[in-house]
Formats: sequence, structure tokens, C-alpha cells
Amino acid sequence: MTTGVLSLDKGTSRIASTVAEPVLVRLALILVSLTFLGLFLFVPLAAILFEALKHGLGTYLASFQEPDAIAAIQLTLLATAIALPLNVVFGLSAAWAIAKFEFWGKQVLITLIDLPFSVSPVVAGLIYVLLFGLQGALGPWLAAHDIKIIFAVPGIVLATIFVTFPFVARELIPHMQAQGKDEEEAALVLGATGWQTFRRVTLPSIKWSLLYGVILCNARAMGEFGAVSVVSGHIRGETNTMPLHVEILYNEYNYVAAFAVASLLALLSLVTLAAKSLVEWTSSVEQKENRP
Amino acid sequence: MSIDVRNVTKTFRTFTALHEINLHVNTGELIALLGPSGCGKTTLLRILAGLEGPTTGAILLNDQEVTDRHIGERGVGFVFQHYALFRHMTVFENIAFGLRVRPRSTRPTNETIDEKVRELLKLVQLEWLGDRYPRQLSGGQRQRVALARALAVEPTVLLLDEPFGALDAKVRKELRRWLRRLHTDLHVTSVFVTHDQDEALEVADRVVVMNKGRIEQIGTPEEVYEHPASPFVYDFLGGVNLFHGRVHEGRVQVGDLNLALREQSGIPDGPAIGYVRPHEIDLHRHPGEEGAIEALVGRIQPVGAVARLEMVRTDNGELIEGEVSQQQWRELALSTGERVYVRPKSLRVFPEPVE
Amino acid sequence: MSILLKQPTVLPGFGLTLGFTLLYLSLIVLIPLAGLFVKTSALTGEQFWSAVSDPRTVASYQLTFGLSFVAALLNAFFGVIIAWVLVRYSFPGRKFVDALVDLPFALPTAVAGIALTAVFSVNGWIGRYLEPLGIKIAFTPLGVLVALTFIGLPFVVRTVQPVLQDLEKEIEEAAASLGATRWKTVTRVIFPEVFPALLTGFTSAFARALGEYGSVVFISGNMPMRTEITPLLIITKLEQYDYAGAAAIAVVMLVASFILLLIINGLQWWSGRRQVAF
Repeated sequence: MTTGVLSLDKGTSRIASTVAEPVLVRLALILVSLTFLGLFLFVPLAAILFEALKHGLGTYLASFQEPDAIAAIQLTLLATAIALPLNVVFGLSAAWAIAKFEFWGKQVLITLIDLPFSVSPVVAGLIYVLLFGLQGALGPWLAAHDIKIIFAVPGIVLATIFVTFPFVARELIPHMQAQGKDEEEAALVLGATGWQTFRRVTLPSIKWSLLYGVILCNARAMGEFGAVSVVSGHIRGETNTMPLHVEILYNEYNYVAAFAVASLLALLSLVTLAAKSLVEWTSSVEQKENRP
Repeated sequence: MSIDVRNVTKTFRTFTALHEINLHVNTGELIALLGPSGCGKTTLLRILAGLEGPTTGAILLNDQEVTDRHIGERGVGFVFQHYALFRHMTVFENIAFGLRVRPRSTRPTNETIDEKVRELLKLVQLEWLGDRYPRQLSGGQRQRVALARALAVEPTVLLLDEPFGALDAKVRKELRRWLRRLHTDLHVTSVFVTHDQDEALEVADRVVVMNKGRIEQIGTPEEVYEHPASPFVYDFLGGVNLFHGRVHEGRVQVGDLNLALREQSGIPDGPAIGYVRPHEIDLHRHPGEEGAIEALVGRIQPVGAVARLEMVRTDNGELIEGEVSQQQWRELALSTGERVYVRPKSLRVFPEPVE
Repeated sequence: MSILLKQPTVLPGFGLTLGFTLLYLSLIVLIPLAGLFVKTSALTGEQFWSAVSDPRTVASYQLTFGLSFVAALLNAFFGVIIAWVLVRYSFPGRKFVDALVDLPFALPTAVAGIALTAVFSVNGWIGRYLEPLGIKIAFTPLGVLVALTFIGLPFVVRTVQPVLQDLEKEIEEAAASLGATRWKTVTRVIFPEVFPALLTGFTSAFARALGEYGSVVFISGNMPMRTEITPLLIITKLEQYDYAGAAAIAVVMLVASFILLLIINGLQWWSGRRQVAF
């Protein structure tokens, strides 16, 4: 039987060798890839869980009962709850204008929308400090009216909006461009209003891209560190988001608690990856079915 | 409902898609806009629907100006070239859409909508497909759903953009006949766009032949086919032989052939072109008194009721296509390579256009 | 707004959506960014120059740009191999590995930072085996390189993968039928097809690494002149209330990012596809 398998293998590999590599090369390439990914992705991920549970489940769970930890979780949820809907409305609006109309300066607009991705998070935070900080352009006026943006929650929300700005828009734009505007025109001819057209025709047909954008936007909003760190001021229990809380605990050598909160964020990223794969899979199945 | 197009011009930046178009469509008529791609036929249809606005000119429905009226309020039904079915809705919901989006005051009850959609499904013979999605349908079925969806709002005018363009040949023929019957039953004023002359001639009451943003000819299928108004129409309606010649004192000379011009056509002396359809050609084994064009027989296709043959002119090597009945064919008994004399039964002559 | 339209259209909402888009873009992105340049313009040329060219700052540029480049190179090399393996070979767990490639995008950078530090410190899972060999990673420039490689990992894989997927097998079969060896087919036929995407992925990874902060600060040790990256230097200046100095360095970073953004756009135009990664 062994010889049979071997000979069969030899036979097929000789035929297939025109468009495939020798088995040894294949194995080597797979091994190189898995080692690299294992070293950089899998091991750190496992390390988080290991460090978090080092002193048992009780210590692990206790980390989440800390008032500061709870405050950090709440602030993260709040910032996300504001940034996400705003960026969704922006994404839909930008995608509608860009995908359904031909206008001057469209290409420039698309490039500008991507801009926040190429700006370092630290610079993203800095620009708000320069604008709203005590020494900033609007600083004196804000101070006079007793409005705090920097080292306060509004600054954190602004920084979060900035770093997650393009996510929804850039998922929607190419998809809506590919769909064209026939269906919308058909709806209008049938007497639908603009809102009805958007609500009943456009929105259902972009739901997967929208969901995809929302998932990515959400993950980044909850996990942002650099930009938020610059504007936060690190006031415990007030302006610390979860990632900032991780930093503080870590710097205080409270490793178990740091890794416990980190494990929650890591779990979020795994859920994100799973949701992303699921959406990709579902929408690709639908696309296949849509092909005549 | 009648349609009037008055002096409609449409320009896209520097490109003029339509020049001063005038057209009248009678109530209940079925009109074909026929022309090559880029001739402006689809633009004209979209202007009728209100999907585009004319740069200048006016559109009237039943003698009422609707040029500035919003697309949803014109009461037109539009069938898109690629159907534009709502891909996330069932067939049933696609057809019901136009009724469901009406303002509450004029919206029919759910039961009425239900009934109406079932009626339409029956009309387009797709009763059993109501809960399918567009992606699960064949091209011909999608086309019929698109039509039912357009009819659901009881349009006074039905506009169809290349209604059979995306279908394969067999389905196409069936749907053509079906559309013609449907129009006879419903009698909705209809305009459809096509680049296929057979389709236009077979289905339409009248054909509007368009070229480069202008109307070349309007007429019944017989008129445009039998009496083309211009070289373009002759060319476009297809299967035509073209001869270059000269007109001199009411006679035309093509090669060795010399013919009297049929009517007082007023064609000035000078270079001219003549058109003749393949079935309007007489073939002889000997040149007659009026002279004839000498040619050699090339490929022969003796299939069906007529025999088709290609001939090569001996004087300039140009190709002539001919069609003769099987009986004539047997009498002539020609074979490839033999010499033959070609004489048109009727030659339509136009002055050579100056480039 | 409608004056911007190239041709009139029946679809509604152009003015509303474009208006909102421009307003939101201006408020969140453009005006704050412009503020940075305004702030910098308050400096004289000399002040600006001394802020962006003092030895500590220059050392941070060298570290940031140099290691970002090396990290992008590493990712280019391994990224192509990983993309190839994921597209062409089937092995158990392939779907899982494929999904995991995006982890650096999804994992908060601070979490990545402490996890990498834990793994690569001298008593960490990997660090402890490297220490006897005289290799120290955490709190050395090597640690910075590890972090930058981690966060840039998905870019090349995700730009090259779709190109490989769309590559028609017939082209390879044609090459083989014309007598090319497998190696020749790969280098002469497949590689040129993949190259524009590879370059796009490389540049994106490089751009991302330049601005990275969260994953680096934990593992680098932040020693001035040795392991201090430029974004950290900006924060240090801010904490010392040297706002103008921070702004000046930020301008240098921003200009570098703009240039890279333009290069990426050019590359995408060249390779004819939009970047799929986030």
C-alpha cells in the first residue's frame, strides 16, 4: 500500500510539476510561513492568555472588578458609541456622493478620505492638542468658557473619530461604485422618493460591506492607543480607555491585571477576525449566486 | 397617451448626443428607436423617461409639457437594458415595489397589492416564481419580471431600453412575439430602443432610424425597408450591395451597366452610389441589351427556400451578394468559378456624399 | 455643490451628501491638520531647523526610517511566501491561518506591545533561548524591529494574495509548455505580475511602521539616541510643553507620510487595483 501511494504520488507530481513545485519545496515554504506566523502571531497571543491566568482564574477575574478598570471599559465603550455612528453616517454619505455622481475633484476627495490612515496616531493626537490645548489656537477661549476638550473625554472621542475616520467609507466606495446606479434609477422611475430609494434599495444591497466596515471601525476605535494617549492626560478613572489602562498597570508592574485587561482586548480582536471572515464568506457566497 | 418630442437637443460637455429631435408618437403605438450604438437612441429614451433632462427643447405627454416634471411623477414605465432588478428582493417584492413606495394616501392595501402582483405574474407567465430572487432566474425570466415591475404602476407610457439585447437568439425570438402580443392586449403607448433591425421591423408599428444624434427616417417597417430615405438607412437595414457609378442626364452608369433612373429623382450629374438588396438582383448567363455587371461566382449556399451566392466583379474585384429562388437556381445551374451577369431589378441611387 | 457635477442627474442627495462629507472631512481632518502647519509657521526658519535637526531627533529619524525599511523588507520577503502558500497549497488549518494574518490590524497596539515584550524579554518564551546566544531583543533596536515587523505583517500578504488568486493558471501552463522550468516560470512569469502589488504592500507596511507608536514603546526601552522612535520623541516634547518643537517634528513625519501616500496611490493606479488591507 505504501508503495502504491508513493508511486501514485510520483506519477501525479510528474504531471503536475509543470505548474507546481516539488513536494519538498512546498513543504519547506509551508514550514517557513507557519514558523514566521507562529513566532509573530500565535506565540504573543498565547503569551497574553498565559500571563493573564498565571495566578489563577480568581486573580484574573478580580482585575475586572477594579473601579478603574470598570471606568476604562465604560470610557472605551462611550468613545466607540459616539465615533462609530458618526463615521457610519459619514461613510454612507461620502460613498453616495462618490459612487453615484460624476463631479470635479472626486479623485482628490478619495485620497483625502484615506489621509488619516497615513498620519501617525501620535500626530493625530498632537493636532488636537495644538488646536484645543491650553496653549493651542482655541485654548484660551475654551478655558474662558470652562470647556475642557484636551485631557478630557471630548478629546478622546475626537482622536478616536480621527483614527477610524476612513474605515466605513473605504469599504463602501468601491462596492457602491461597482454596483452602478441602475437600481436607484429604477426605483425613482417607479415613484420612490430619494429616501425610500436609499432605504429600500441601496442600503440592503450594501449591508455586507457596511457591516465589514463597522467591524473594522469598531475594533480600531476600541483598541486605539497612540492618538488617545496624547490627548488623554492619563487621569485614572476619568480619561483612561482600556488600552491606556493596560499601559498604566504594566508600568506599575501589575502584570497580571495588565494582561487580564489585555486579554479582553485580544478576545475582541479575535472576535473581530472571526466576524470579518464570516462576512467575507457570506458575501462571497452571495456574490457567486448573483453571477448569472 | 401620445408623446411629443419638440426640438430636443442634448449635449454632454463638448459632445452633442441629440440634434434638434422632433417626434410624435400616437396613443397606443409601438415605436422602435433603431440605430447603431452611440446614435443617441438610448439618450432620447432616457430623456422621455426623465432620467436625463434635454439641454434645450421640450417633452409633452398627452399635450402637456412634462420636461421639468420629476421622474417619479411622469407615469412612465421603464425597462432597463440589464433589467436593474432589486437583487435583494424577491420577484414578488420587485413587482410590488412601485405600489409600496406610494405615499400613504394613495397606497393600495396589502391585499390589493397582493392581488395586483399575482395578476401581473400571471400576465408575464411567471406565477410560480414569486418568491425567487432575481439571481435564481434566467435572462428571459428576468426580462419579464422587469416588464411586470414597470407595468405594476400602470404607466401611461412604457419605455424599454434594448429589451432583448442581453438574451440568446432563441429566447429573443420568443420574447419578441410575446411583447408584440402583450402590446396588442394592453395597448400602452410604447417606445423601445434596439440596434437590431430585424427586431425593429418585426415588432414595431413604426420605426425611427437614428444616426449620429439625428433622425434619418420615420416610417412603418415596410416604408423604411422598401423606401429608405438615405444611404445610411439603406446600409443599416442591412444585407445590401453598394455600387459606385456616375449619373448623366437621367441615366446611371455602373461598370458596363447603364440604367435609366426610375423616377424624377433630381439627382445631379456626377458621382453617385446605388444600392440594391440581394433579392432584387437578376442573374443571367449572357449580358443583355442594357448591359450588366460581369462577375465570377464565388461561394454558394443553396440552403432553405433561397440560394445565396457571393460573386466577385471582374472589373474591380468588389463583392456582390445575391439571393435567388430555388427554382431559378436550378434553371441557372451555376457553379463556383463560372461567369455571370448581374442586373439589379431596381437600383436606388443617391448622390455620392462629399466627405 | 451642483456646480461641481459634470452632468445633471436625477438621483437626489448630491448636495446634501457631498456637503456633509466635505464639512465632516474639514472639521475632523483638514482644519486640525492645517493647524499643525500654522503652529509650525510661527517658528523662524532657524528655530524650525534646530528643532528638526538636533542630534537626538536625527538619531530618532535614523532609527525609525531605517528599521521601518528593514521591517518592510522582511515583510515583503515573508509576505510573498505566505501569500503563495495560502493561495496555492492546502494544508490543515489553512483557513485559520489565513484569518490570523489580519491579527496585527485587529489587535490593539498596546496589547501587541506588552505581549511581544513578554515573549522576547530575557526570561520570555523566546527571549530566554536567544539570550545564551548573545542575542537580546527587548529593550534594544532589535525589539523595535520585531514590533515594526509585527504591525506591518498583513500588508504585503493582503495585497499580493488577490493578485495570485486572479492569476490564470493557463499562463503558467503556457510558459511550461514553451519549455520553461518551474523556477523560470515563477521568476519570469509570475513574479512580474505580482511585483506592483508587492511594491504597494511594501510601501504601505513602511508607511505604517513610520508612524507606529503603541507596539514599540513597550519593547524598545525608549533610550534617547539608541531606541527612541520619532513618534515617542514628539510625545516627550509635548510633555515638556515644547509644543512648537513637537509640531516641527510632526511636520517632518507628516510630509514623509504624504509622500508615501502619493507613492502608494501611484502604485495602485499602476497595478490597477485598490488596496484590500486596512
